[in-house]
Formats: sequence, C-alpha cells, structure tokens
Amino acid sequence: METLHPLTPEQLARAEDRLLHPVRGSQIESASNQGIDLTLLVEQLRLTPAERAKTLELASTALEQVRGIADRRS
Amino acid sequence: MQFEKAVQTLFDAEVEFVVIGGLSATFHGSTRGTYVLDICYSRTSANLRRLTAALAPFHPRPRGFPAGLPTLRNGPIFKLQTDIGEIDLLAEVKGLGTFDDVKKHSIVVEAFDRKIATFDLPGLIRAKRAAGREKDLSDVAELESLREASEP
Repeated sequence: METLHPLTPEQLARAEDRLLHPVRGSQIESASNQGIDLTLLVEQLRLTPAERAKTLELASTALEQVRGIADRRS
Repeated sequence: MQFEKAVQTLFDAEVEFVVIGGLSATFHGSTRGTYVLDICYSRTSANLRRLTAALAPFHPRPRGFPAGLPTLRNGPIFKLQTDIGEIDLLAEVKGLGTFDDVKKHSIVVEAFDRKIATFDLPGLIRAKRAAGREKDLSDVAELESLREASEP
C-alpha cells in the first residue's frame, strides 16, 4: 500500500504556484469561481498530514465546547 | 471529537478499518472541518468482535437508530454517539463497495502516532461524487483542486 507523504519543497512550490495562479479552464480555477479560498489550501499543504489531523482535532474540540456552552444556555 | 483517541484505540485493537470521510479529506489537505470520525470496517466475525470490544469502553449508542435493531453484521451504516465523540461505521461505501473494495483505494498515512489506512485522493473523490449530497459535491471541487495541484 502506498504512503501519503508530506509534499517535498519542490512539490509544494509547484502546488502553490498552481493554486495561486490557476490556469484558465482548470479544476483549480473552477473551484476558485465556486468561492473556495485557495490560499487556505496552500496553508494546509504546508502542513504534514499528521499536523492537518491535529489541527482538525483542536478545531473540533473547540467547536464541541462551544456547542456544549450553547446547549447549557438553551 | 477525539480523533486521536478513537483512531489509536481502533488501531491498537487491531481492528481492520479504513478512515474515510472528512478526516480522510483533511489528511489530503482539505480545509473543511468535521466532528465525526467515519470509518469503513471489515465485516469478518473476528473484526466485528475486535471493533465492538474496542468501542465498548466509550459507551457507543446509536444516533437516530431505526426500528428493527440491525447488527454490525447485517446493517450497512451505524451512526454512533460515544464518550469520545461521534463515530460513523460503514460496512459499504457508495460508489466503491465493501471494505475490500475500499481497501484497494486506500493508502497509509502516518498520523496520531500510528500508520493508518485512509482513502487515496481518487477514491475519496469517487466516494464523495457517489454520495451526491450538496455538501459532498462542494467538497469535490476542493479535492479536485488538491489533486490537480499535487499532480507531477
């Protein structure tokens, strides 16, 4: 089974260029037109997959705390 | 959702599973948040025993459970609330098939101090397209961008 590795500096540079300067007719341009913030994708790609998961866990925990506070107040 | 705790628990219990859904998308670079752990699991008897034993300490209980009480062996999807968050168990993934089919579209990712199986990007996109909900189709646009950006 293949492994999902963090992007190498070269891969990251290429991905950033593609995301920040979308080619006309590309999927990236289409996503941009749909309102997807491509700069956020660049920030995510700078992280390792493990860091992305950790960030998600922190955000999810924070969200659940807010939901808990809201539930207690209602 | 305590993703780390849940994933480590399942891995350490030797449950055969593949991480799918929002966490898989996050591994690949998606910015969409989720607070549900989605996994596809093998329905072999031994795996069902490991899965139920692993989750038991977290007091899993069904969310919106239908009448008739299907079991892990014959029900395709279980949406659970547990002490460590919401966990969705899927024996089959729309557009891909059973655990064995899903495994063919998976890769290994190192996260939460474990090496776990998760969807590869084409498999994830295929599953999202097949799911067909508005949210999934919106996710596809982002995932297609990530695929295009990461191509050689």
